[in-house]
Amino acid sequence: MGKGESSSKKVIGREDWEKRLSDVKIRKEDMNKLVMNYLVTEGYVDAAEKFQLESGVKPEIDLSTITDRMTVRKAVQSGNVEDALEKVNDLNPEILDTNPQLFFHLQQQRLIELIRSGKVEEALEFAQEELAPRGEENHQFLEELERTVALLAFEDTANSPVSDLLDISQRQKTASELNAAILTSQSHEKDPRLPSLLKMLVWAQNQLDEKVSYPRINDLVNATLEDPV
Amino acid sequence: MPASARSRPEDIVENLSSGDTSARLKALRDVKNQIIGNRSKKLCYIKLGAVPRVAEILASDTETNLLVQSAAAVGSFACGIDSGVRAVLDSGCLPHLLNTLSNGDERVVEAGARSLRMIFQTQLAPQGATFFRSGGALENILRLLASANDDISEVAASVLARCCDFPEQRAAIAQAGALQGLLHLLTHPNPRKVETALDAIASLTRNDEQQSRALLNAPGNPFLTVIIPTVKERSGKSRLLACACVANISRTCPEYGTERTTGPPGSARDVAAAVISALVKLVDCPGEAGEEAPSVLAHFIADSEDLQKLACDADAIGKLSGKLAAGSGVLTPRHRENIFHALAALCSTREEGRRQLVESRALLPVISGLEDAAPGVRAAACACTKSLSRSVKNLRTSLVDASIAEPLFKLLGDPDPSVQATASATLCNIVLDFSPLRSQVVLDGGGVAQLASLAHSMDATLRLNAVWALKNLLFMADSATKARVMREVGYPTLAALAQDPEDGVQEQALMLVRNLVHGKPEDIEAAVRPETGLLEVVDRKLASGARPEVCVQALYVMVNVATGTEEHKERVMATCTPSVLGRFLADESNPQIRVAAVWVLINLTYSKGGNVRSRIERLRRLGLDAQLHKLLSDPCSDVQDRAKTALEQFHEALQPLPQPSVQMVSAHIC
Repeated sequence: MGKGESSSKKVIGREDWEKRLSDVKIRKEDMNKLVMNYLVTEGYVDAAEKFQLESGVKPEIDLSTITDRMTVRKAVQSGNVEDALEKVNDLNPEILDTNPQLFFHLQQQRLIELIRSGKVEEALEFAQEELAPRGEENHQFLEELERTVALLAFEDTANSPVSDLLDISQRQKTASELNAAILTSQSHEKDPRLPSLLKMLVWAQNQLDEKVSYPRINDLVNATLEDPV
Repeated sequence: MPASARSRPEDIVENLSSGDTSARLKALRDVKNQIIGNRSKKLCYIKLGAVPRVAEILASDTETNLLVQSAAAVGSFACGIDSGVRAVLDSGCLPHLLNTLSNGDERVVEAGARSLRMIFQTQLAPQGATFFRSGGALENILRLLASANDDISEVAASVLARCCDFPEQRAAIAQAGALQGLLHLLTHPNPRKVETALDAIASLTRNDEQQSRALLNAPGNPFLTVIIPTVKERSGKSRLLACACVANISRTCPEYGTERTTGPPGSARDVAAAVISALVKLVDCPGEAGEEAPSVLAHFIADSEDLQKLACDADAIGKLSGKLAAGSGVLTPRHRENIFHALAALCSTREEGRRQLVESRALLPVISGLEDAAPGVRAAACACTKSLSRSVKNLRTSLVDASIAEPLFKLLGDPDPSVQATASATLCNIVLDFSPLRSQVVLDGGGVAQLASLAHSMDATLRLNAVWALKNLLFMADSATKARVMREVGYPTLAALAQDPEDGVQEQALMLVRNLVHGKPEDIEAAVRPETGLLEVVDRKLASGARPEVCVQALYVMVNVATGTEEHKERVMATCTPSVLGRFLADESNPQIRVAAVWVLINLTYSKGGNVRSRIERLRRLGLDAQLHKLLSDPCSDVQDRAKTALEQFHEALQPLPQPSVQMVSAHIC
């Protein structure tokens, strides 16, 4: 604590800092809303239900819609794209009707799944009938389509330049895009607010570092205050 | 159900009419899942006649699942392709979709409402008329507005927003209490709900004084406390719609406009500045908000020079020109049209705006806009040139450099009447005597011929503009130009225009005659030869008690004819004019008429000899000198002065003063 006056940086000690922190009043309800927002957006239905019982915070949307959304998401993650398509169309037909890029990516994922299961003929037919017209409508789709069809050209797809398409992360990517579109259609933000708050915390600390020494939070998980240097 | 993909579309369509309910349901789901997001599949199923079959299910089935699926399928057919919307409308399923709104099962209501929204989002929709024919549908929609289900209330608001095209519709919607419901939605935490509610409110108040005033004075002040703050926050679309609401009120409620110019800081004046600033920023916004922002801006500033100044100060012209410079190829036709309208409004009254536009190099895109494939764009670009042509400086320089005359002539023959109207109005200014473009118009006889043929148009605006332009063309024109123009127009046509059913056209036609008979005695002679019948027509105007504006012009024709030879003066004397002149001299409602009437007397009594004494004697017998005496104490000093001159001539006719004869011509910027 208390360095000499010669120091260029102002130092704020732990006691002073904690006192200042406790002066900032954050309403409990706001904290609870933040938690609920995270649970709902990330799709933790059970946790959201329990949290609702415990805290009394009302979720921003009907929890049953989370279940629907999670079923759709799971279907893509496990490779049942057609199933996911039907479910999302039941949920709200406008989602895929007004979002050509998402629709293309789901069709592309369907093609990938056909190739993965070795149904070459079916895959070719599907590419020609369903995907080729989308490629004609949009140049960017055409390039992605060509890349996907290239999977058929390699015997050892795992070592091909397009191997990433068969990766599980490709399914995750498609599933997340679909998840985000459903959330948007329900007038909900695509991302939970908590991570962006953490980003703001990190940014604010970096800004502050240039001017003062203060008890910093380095361990974001436990939020422990480190003594100022 | 991967097997479904294998079924042939023909079989699926056949199954839509199957007697077996579960087969129908399966076929419906197959169609729906295949067409959603898929343009080519939609076209394929429309061709196979699937739409009427789906409509039939919607019309006659009652089972929830069938209704939900058929409503969803209909909505998807109507999404994204015009032929789909047409097929849906042709199938006659709209009343059945409306029926779903009163179904007991919320899933049916939601599916039906979504489909309706799809249909009402398109330009092809029968714009609300259906609601007013279908009993109870409006009430249903309003009930849905209050639904706890976000989707349903949002859909209800967006359907309402598409039903505000006619005053009767807006009145019916307002009378059913929609405004309160919509204002209530504005306070909802869901931004999409707020957006659709704003959309409906903006549509309800556009060009509607009654609804605008209802919004302005709504209980609880939502206009001030909710709509105005939205101008600065929320999504681009919401900002735009809030701006549109303010613009609607500002255009239709005069008291709000007064507050804007004279009110204290913090009042409507600051709101206007905030709206202008928001709109100018929105110009750069991607998507619909950026596309429509110029249109709202144009609407907001159209009638107000101070708002135009505010917008110019906020660099609206630079921003809009920048968009155009980025290449009109990347902008949709609607976007280009909106930008041109905004630019036209920005330089409609202020020379500074015109200077900015020319300097921002937007002139080239404007000129090429005159040849755009879309009629709306051509009309809007033409509106820009009209605004620019109100500047003498532009007429002499930049518009000449941009060779504007040729594309403008082309537009006179445009298939779209609104394009023709704006083009002819622009030409009115282009042919003014100080414009170097005038000689181009006259030399290239094609322009005159086109104007002459527009003067025959069935459309009164086109006739008006054409005669107006021809009148300006003849302002201070030489004899050759007059002869050339009259060769194209023809005296019978001119006589007919002077008796047009529209007063405005009559007035312009008489001004044209007035310009024609201004100048040398040969010019007068050419126009008032008995064969032309013109003098007779003009005389009849005065004798028959036409409207004051028409009479003023008719009197000035007589004034100009009376500047001619002795014979011309005697021809005026031979008309009914001298006998009705007393009526005009005594017209207390209009000093202009009195001035014109006195001028007739001045010119009839100004002479170096000839018959002047006889004319004065005849005019005295009509009691006109006594009337002139009364006018010496006229409230209008111009009338007083002229009456004095006339009386001097009456008294001094034996020794005429070397006074110049006075001739009257007329030209007007359009």
